[in-house]
Amino acid sequence: MTPKKQLTRVSFFFLLLAAFSFSQISYAQTESAEADTTASAPEETASASASDGEIPTGDANIGAGEELFKGNCAACHKIDQKLVGPALAGVQDRAPSIDWIVSFVQNSQKVIATGDEYAVNLYNEYNQTQMTAFPQFTRDDVLNILGYIKQQAEAAPAETAAVAGAEGADGAVASEPAISSAYLNAIMIGLIIVLALILVVLILITTVLRRYLLQKETVGDEDREIIEQSVSLSKVFKSPTFIFLATFIFAAVAFKVVINELFAVGVQIDYTPTQPIAFSHKLHAGQYEIDCQYCHTGVRKSKNANIPSPNICMNCHSAILTESAEIQKIYAAVEQNRPIEWVRVHNLPDLAYFNHSQHVNVGNIECQTCHGEIQEMEVVGQAKLLTMGWCIDCHRNTDVNTKGNEYYDKLVELHSEVSEDGMKVEDIGGLECSKCHY
Amino acid sequence: MIKNSNIYSIVLAVFGGLILTACGAGDNDPGLEYAPNMYHSVPYEPLKQVVDKDKGEWAEFLDSNEDGYGEYYNSNPLNQEGMDGSGMTMRTPPENSVRRDKYLPYRIPKDSLTLAASVENPLPDTPEVLAQGKELYERFCDHCHGGAGQGADPGSVGEVLAGVPSYTSAAVKGVSGGHIFHVITHGKGRMGAHGSQISVEDRWRIVRYVQTLQQN
Repeated sequence: MTPKKQLTRVSFFFLLLAAFSFSQISYAQTESAEADTTASAPEETASASASDGEIPTGDANIGAGEELFKGNCAACHKIDQKLVGPALAGVQDRAPSIDWIVSFVQNSQKVIATGDEYAVNLYNEYNQTQMTAFPQFTRDDVLNILGYIKQQAEAAPAETAAVAGAEGADGAVASEPAISSAYLNAIMIGLIIVLALILVVLILITTVLRRYLLQKETVGDEDREIIEQSVSLSKVFKSPTFIFLATFIFAAVAFKVVINELFAVGVQIDYTPTQPIAFSHKLHAGQYEIDCQYCHTGVRKSKNANIPSPNICMNCHSAILTESAEIQKIYAAVEQNRPIEWVRVHNLPDLAYFNHSQHVNVGNIECQTCHGEIQEMEVVGQAKLLTMGWCIDCHRNTDVNTKGNEYYDKLVELHSEVSEDGMKVEDIGGLECSKCHY
Repeated sequence: MIKNSNIYSIVLAVFGGLILTACGAGDNDPGLEYAPNMYHSVPYEPLKQVVDKDKGEWAEFLDSNEDGYGEYYNSNPLNQEGMDGSGMTMRTPPENSVRRDKYLPYRIPKDSLTLAASVENPLPDTPEVLAQGKELYERFCDHCHGGAGQGADPGSVGEVLAGVPSYTSAAVKGVSGGHIFHVITHGKGRMGAHGSQISVEDRWRIVRYVQTLQQN
């Protein structure tokens, strides 16, 4: 083996080793990050003072109050935070009287109608949101709820401290990946330097050895020839083998590029246009798991999946993130009665017919089959080819969804007479030209 | 020594390759379209209109249709901005239009909840209707009302929106089917109106299923 060959093998081995160690390092770091997230559980210190006379402090009463609060109040009220309605901590000290609280809970509109100043102010402060009336709550029920609120309000400081601690831990975890990528870069550069040094050392060794051998008198003529052999670059370039190889590789690459690019004509995969509003499918469909069909309402009954009109956005965004600049764009569109001009991503040419309801409602095909992992896309792009070959491939391999659909009963019967395989889309005419081109 | 002609051919090949790399699509570029007027429809397409009158003028370079507009312009010129419909190709149907459906339009106004509560569900209480109702509930309701109708599930939209009551809470446990239908149609409190998204029949299916959740 010549020193040159040896050298390439050694460096190749080092490269492999480097690649392998990178993956090991990144694993190790995620593991340590996971270990950090263990946060201490909040400690509850329940010691209720009986200063408010009427408000019960017994465990049974507080338990009953907790059940009522969680079942009926928690949707709109938190103890220590404003939600739809006010935070309830200290409500027994704020409100005019315990009797007032009881009658407000039983029917707030009645109290407001009497012109009670505190009630009217409260009503206006919360944008005239009507509190649901609970006429079925007795005075004791309300007192139990107040007992639970009081106990929670007193236990709250300890809990918030614990939560803050947990958030601190989360913050540390979040900053972890940035450090690790910096580490990776450093390690990469370090390894490259080491490899370069090894190269230099090896070259030095070969030169030293050559000189030593040349000075030695006992070396034979044949060996001397090998030692003195030097690689001349110009000779290599002019050799027919090199010219042939270079031409061949160049031609092959050029051919491949040309073919690839010609096939890309009319294929819009990876088209990811910037939309007028930075809507994130990753957030809505991914994190919050809102069903695709909640917004794309046409997908089961029409050729088109439908782009939701702003009133569907408003179902949530009349209350969520109302200050955000992106959401303000929806408000503007609603106010001016003008459509939001989304940029179309998936655009089949008119020569091909495609119907969403056929595939989603009848075929029971998942949206992701043709649109890719939409729930992971921050900005939607075309993930699949949407070429004819791609359609046909699926029609050849997909079993027809015949379950519970008597339309197919006879067809399945006839198909099972001639074939043991499942009935594919192609078996019921899924490859006929005029199904899609007419 | 490489000949000049060789250099030319190499430059030509590289240049040709570069031109061809512009064929594929990426970020904001839909790529080269084969037969572009198949992608930019002359007839009106749903959810799409091109209001830019010059759009696609280049495509008429060899074969002009002499209408004075670009090849891709396909907005309704009789429905300009400022007229009814604000320049949209599709116009809102005239007032009091009735949709062709087996159900008559639901006309009870939002504030007449008591009247609405007396409306009877036209669908029977069968396992089939309940199963359909469950499927629809999971599609349209559960991200706010929770899988079991017990209020928002942790980490769901309902938790962010806040103010989602449990179906078993004292205030709503006893409400009638007509009440539920009315609330789905027009919304109530922080809940938006879902009448435009869910058909009348599907709303009644959901009502049947929600009534089973009230009993939990």
